[in-house]
Amino acid sequence: MTRTGAFTREQLRSPFTLLLLVGVPAGFVAAAAGVLSDFATALGGSLAGDAASALSAGWAAAFIAGTLGFFAASSAKGADRRLALAGLGAGRVALARISSSFGIALLAAGAGFVALELVTGVAHPAHAAAAVLAFALVYLGIGVVIGSLVNGALEGSLAVAVIFLLDVFSGPGMSEQAAPWSVSRWAADVLIAAGVGQQSSARDWAEAAFVAALALFAAFATFVWSARSRV
Amino acid sequence: MAAPATSSAVAVPAIAVLRVDGIRKAFHRGPPWHRRSVQVLRGTSLEVRPGELVGLVGENGSGKSVLMQIVVGLMERDGGTVERPARLGYCPQLPLLWDKLTVSEHFELFAEAYGLAPEDAGGRRDQLLEELGFVKYLDYRVEELSGGTRQKLNLALALLHDPELLLLDEPYSGFDWETYLRFWELADHRRAQGMGILIVSHVLTERDRLTRTYELRDGVTEVV
Repeated sequence: MTRTGAFTREQLRSPFTLLLLVGVPAGFVAAAAGVLSDFATALGGSLAGDAASALSAGWAAAFIAGTLGFFAASSAKGADRRLALAGLGAGRVALARISSSFGIALLAAGAGFVALELVTGVAHPAHAAAAVLAFALVYLGIGVVIGSLVNGALEGSLAVAVIFLLDVFSGPGMSEQAAPWSVSRWAADVLIAAGVGQQSSARDWAEAAFVAALALFAAFATFVWSARSRV
Repeated sequence: MAAPATSSAVAVPAIAVLRVDGIRKAFHRGPPWHRRSVQVLRGTSLEVRPGELVGLVGENGSGKSVLMQIVVGLMERDGGTVERPARLGYCPQLPLLWDKLTVSEHFELFAEAYGLAPEDAGGRRDQLLEELGFVKYLDYRVEELSGGTRQKLNLALALLHDPELLLLDEPYSGFDWETYLRFWELADHRRAQGMGILIVSHVLTERDRLTRTYELRDGVTEVV
């Protein structure tokens, strides 16, 4: 599809974006597992060892996907709206923008997963890869929603960062019980189980998939709403 | 809400390609307990017929660009009506482009948006590149272009589908003298072909070229 390809090229033509896509997940997985365990201990949680390493890959993918989703939706908002009004329609522009960002999220998730495999290895690689992707999709949706609604780069990136931090410190393993506002707790449950070699139940998988799909739908609906014609 | 003020004495024929009637728009700033409202448009009306080149002038902050964005569909209005054709070209004041995409990729995206066949789009693109004098920049990214060349692309994208109505918001800012002259030639040529053109500017020096000029002051328009 022409427009999805164009939007993907647009995002990948920044060398700094490519560096972030590869460097952040690798650095985060290598450095964050121990820190997450320390925080979990301080907060009364049980996260440690392979579970913490696995979870760090999810968080790395989430952070990159959320940030890139925000900037993809926000930085080209004017041009995207112009294209929608020119006749393409808000729905098709939204689909192209989210599809191209999905590709970027896939890269971020892949980088996080590869870093995890290289740094510590993982007991259930396929399960872990799917869970890391779910993290990326949930945060891609959050980033696009915020990018569609918030105009300022500072305000928007801070909003993504606040949601991310709240999520990190209130998710599974970080305290006795995950907080209700932890949007990635279902993906985290699956990822922690994969990290320590356990199977997740069908219900856990369904919940993680549902939340990822819901995030993408929210991203699409918000983008369309913000780019709609006001005539 | 107060009834809109009558803003124009111009007759409204059935063939108008753009008819704006009684547009009202206010902006609200500040928290609810200290809200300030600024009424920018108070019943603004104007019209453009096929083959007309109409000017809209006004001081900085008079609401010209707001009116333009309402006509295009980028901004909601509080009241009034807008009748315009579906095939409309819009050249915004600040070029709305993707920095990392090339000139060629911009033409491809907008050709798709306008529903142009690839062979038609290629011919029209080449003609516009020639007319505006930026053929050599076809494979350049927007971030590599000067402000004037960005503005040429901005204008060319608005013209790609040969619209019935062309809306130009400060179209020649950044143009050098030669391009400025080319712009007026291009406008005259399109006008002769039946295109209705509305030019918004805080300074319109070429008033003898215009069919009619509206001035926007205190939220209402009048023919000057």
